[in-house]
Amino acid sequence: MSNAPDNLMDGLSTEQSATAQAAVPLGADDFQVLLVEVLPTAYGYALRLTRNRADAEDLVQDAALRAFRAMTTFEPGTNFKAWIFRILTRCFWANHRRRQRRPNTVDFDDTPDLYLYARSAEHGLQWEGEDPARALIDRLGTERVSEAIGQLPEEYGVVCTLYFMEDFAYHEIADVLEVPVGTVRSRLHRGRKMLQKALWCLAEESGIVTEMTQREGDV
Amino acid sequence: MTPLNRYTCEEAFRRLDDYLDRELSSEETVLVREHLEICAGCAREFNFEASVLKGVREKLRQIDVPESLQLRILSVLDRER
Repeated sequence: MSNAPDNLMDGLSTEQSATAQAAVPLGADDFQVLLVEVLPTAYGYALRLTRNRADAEDLVQDAALRAFRAMTTFEPGTNFKAWIFRILTRCFWANHRRRQRRPNTVDFDDTPDLYLYARSAEHGLQWEGEDPARALIDRLGTERVSEAIGQLPEEYGVVCTLYFMEDFAYHEIADVLEVPVGTVRSRLHRGRKMLQKALWCLAEESGIVTEMTQREGDV
Repeated sequence: MTPLNRYTCEEAFRRLDDYLDRELSSEETVLVREHLEICAGCAREFNFEASVLKGVREKLRQIDVPESLQLRILSVLDRER
């Protein structure tokens, strides 16, 4: 007879391959196998939180050690990745959060919907190739997109980081952050708008808007 | 008058995020999709937003994981056993 709990497939749907075997309490060897699977994404998440490679490595190591010590509390059949991310997030809040956040120069109050769409249209960028949004994001590049996420108020930045970095559903993000799903939904909605404003400001500051506007004018 | 089984632009727009994130019920998803099929303006906005999300996602996922990280962590865990 199976020892699997009734809720084996409930809730957290990603990384099912990592959870399907987990009907019995985790042993140290099993833990390490599951950990190695999620290390790259855990590091990516940590890097976006800390914005520093050395700090990200320390954070992942700290979280891995805490998870190892607490592995008997992992509920068999649930999502190992979400569990590790939850521990990692707690470690970040507790020990790795920088006291001095980067000063935010963008005023996010009342950022309207469709911010990038509207600004792009105002500047005549709407017809940049077949995909004007993609053209803008590609010109911004990874570094500036990361910087834009880093400019968001922390509670929005963390939700957006989880949302963009992983294929977590809203309820999974809620599970990682230990907040209600409605909170995730509202922070994500607002965070996306803020992110669009931050992206546009960076595009303006770095001359990308001017460059694209001139290109449009040349056509 | 708008039929009850059709979304207006406003009703569709209110569901933009949830639609793009596949968080709507199947009935709502169908109603949004049907609206986008007949409304070029909303379709343009939805496509723009979807493209922004996709682009940001791809950029943020470009991360080089240090090769030494796994060894370092497994070594720490071995000492902990």
